[in-house]
Amino acid sequence: MTTTLSPRRTTPEAETEARVRQSLAERLAPYAYIAPFFLIFGIFGLVPLLFTFYVALFDWNPIGEHVFIGLDNFSRLLGDPRFWNAAWNTISMWLLSTVPQLLAALVLAHLLNHARLRLATLWRMSMLVPYITSVAATTIVFAQMFDRDYGLLNWLLGLVGVGPINFQQSVWGSHIMIATMVTWRWFGYTTLLYLASLQAIPRTIYEAAAVDGAGAWKQFRHISIPSLRPVIIFTIVTSTIGGLQIFTEPMLASHTTPLTCGPIRQCQTLTLFLYEQGFGQFQFGYGAAIGVALFVLIIVIATLNYLLSARIRPER
Amino acid sequence: MSPVSFRRATPAVLAAAIVLTAAACGGGGGTSQQSGDGKSFEFWSFTGINQKKTVEAYKKIHPDVQVKLTEVGSTAETAQALTTALAGGKVPDLVLIQGDDLPKFLQQPQNFQDLRQYGADKMKGDYLDWVISQSVARSGEIIGIPTDVGGMAVAYRTDLFKAAGLPTDREEVSKLWPTWDAFIETGKKYTAATGKAFIDNAATSVFLQAVNQGPEKYYDQNGNVIYRTSPQVRTAFDLGLKAIQAGISAKQSSFSEGWSAGMGKGDFAVISAPSWLLGQIQDNAPGTKGKWDIATIPGGAGNWGGSYLAIPKRAANPKAAWEYISKMQSPQGQLDHFLEAGSLPTTPSVYQDSKLLSQKDPFFSDAPIGKIYTESLLGLKPYVIGPDDPAIGSEFLAAITNVEQGKGDPAKAWDAAMANIKTAIGK
Repeated sequence: MTTTLSPRRTTPEAETEARVRQSLAERLAPYAYIAPFFLIFGIFGLVPLLFTFYVALFDWNPIGEHVFIGLDNFSRLLGDPRFWNAAWNTISMWLLSTVPQLLAALVLAHLLNHARLRLATLWRMSMLVPYITSVAATTIVFAQMFDRDYGLLNWLLGLVGVGPINFQQSVWGSHIMIATMVTWRWFGYTTLLYLASLQAIPRTIYEAAAVDGAGAWKQFRHISIPSLRPVIIFTIVTSTIGGLQIFTEPMLASHTTPLTCGPIRQCQTLTLFLYEQGFGQFQFGYGAAIGVALFVLIIVIATLNYLLSARIRPER
Repeated sequence: MSPVSFRRATPAVLAAAIVLTAAACGGGGGTSQQSGDGKSFEFWSFTGINQKKTVEAYKKIHPDVQVKLTEVGSTAETAQALTTALAGGKVPDLVLIQGDDLPKFLQQPQNFQDLRQYGADKMKGDYLDWVISQSVARSGEIIGIPTDVGGMAVAYRTDLFKAAGLPTDREEVSKLWPTWDAFIETGKKYTAATGKAFIDNAATSVFLQAVNQGPEKYYDQNGNVIYRTSPQVRTAFDLGLKAIQAGISAKQSSFSEGWSAGMGKGDFAVISAPSWLLGQIQDNAPGTKGKWDIATIPGGAGNWGGSYLAIPKRAANPKAAWEYISKMQSPQGQLDHFLEAGSLPTTPSVYQDSKLLSQKDPFFSDAPIGKIYTESLLGLKPYVIGPDDPAIGSEFLAAITNVEQGKGDPAKAWDAAMANIKTAIGK
């Protein structure tokens, strides 16, 4: 915007007028450029979001009456053991999938960034294979691996004399099974994000550190991690949002009770509970209230995460 | 969702559910009423029921009519797609609804055409009374015409029975278990002799069948919820637990991977099988051809499954759709479909038809399936099915499955089921 500034001072009034006109257009231009996104976000993101808040105030049958009931859906939700069960399952599976995933990605990225790595591109690109594989296919394969009678995992356990574990039917077993699927799908993507940031760190810093006598661990701890701070915060926030909305894996994990992920809802997540109530029971109002609760939960946890991870500071 | 409503699901199609629901929404603005030309109609069905054959037969009679058949997915997926469409999308002209999904739609009859305007009340007498009554709404509107029922029998492995020293002839086998208690005792003998499980699972093969065999299930004749006090429900529940404690169950949930695999491997010797399950046994265990036979169900009568054809209110071609219903769902039409595709007719007038009675299935040692299954229907006492029936049923099944598969305490299972149902339906 400083291009209109001219050192010559001919007719100042005309100049000012032209400047105002031009700078107005210039000032508006960026908004026009980003307008399409906000327009589409408004139609497909914001309006449905606000509409969800609205529907949550009703006893809303999608093919019948809509009765205004105020906050009744929310008070029912707070007293519903199924909601707390789903909330706990969601947090448990999110922790079980996110923590190992981010740690593994950090280590893998460090390894893939090694200067003497052969076939580096092959290794780096193969990280993305799980990410681009269909979730449904991954889930079906993993569910078979974890099967009680014919699963690969129980066959291996049987070789070392451990009796078959009924993963799907137990709380922890099903959580570990689903967390494994989620980790498998996302670790490659996160690894590549970390790798890209690692490659931006000048090698000279590592060389200087090596000269000063810093070993591999010290380099990793004092150079890599602080430099990765922005991308670590980014992945923590996105995996929080994604991890708290796990849906496909638990839905496909249990064939006979897909909407509850098992007879005692042992791996039913909040999104699956929402789907069960909304589309299984036709209670759109109650489903919307679950959606609102999930929205609040994600905001709270994402904020907490941001505050915690912001403490990773570059060392001075 | 209960395994009942999920019965025809195949694992992979689940992923398509959301896509299909979205497609149903994306049809957009089809609010035009009766704008059709009467020469074509759109028909949504679910997979595994072979409506294609009926449609093809109809095209031969009416080559001028175009039928656009879409197999949406499993029974539950089809009902969900229909819900989305009714709530504000393009509706089909004709839709197949599975019996367990029907009560939710029946509560909102304003979404469907009252078929009495086309003369459905005159055809009402053609169908089994307790079947057609399930599609009659509060004020008498008929919103669906039944296409088939399940009936109920027991499919058993003759080779495994022989190895266990049990009779193999279907008459003698039927005599082994006039009651569920006798059935469990036979199971104990089998397990003692072979060391292997007798039934696939107790939840569907015992509880679900026994609970359907009486005059009152979860609702009384006036439509009040009585699952807590109904002796029929409690007896069936205890029978389910008894079968688990007898150690005769392979603990394979119906339609799971292990269940399908176990069928071929002989992990269990009997399955409570409605007529539509016979095709799945053949698909899952093609190598066991001729090793199966069919005996009567303990208690004598039973039904699991059945579907209805309905016409949405906003359908563009309701008349063409009705033409199809009245032609293909007549007693003769249902008999033809049975002989062709195996779905059991809901029209008792054809139950004595010689072609139906002589229908045999070579996979099941030439068992007379038409005779066995229609007999199981005639003994059935009608009970009232209410709007919360699927929710109540799936909580009971879950409570039993939790004892069977998980670590549930059988002594606490009933109370847990009561608490869960109360949470689910508020009653």
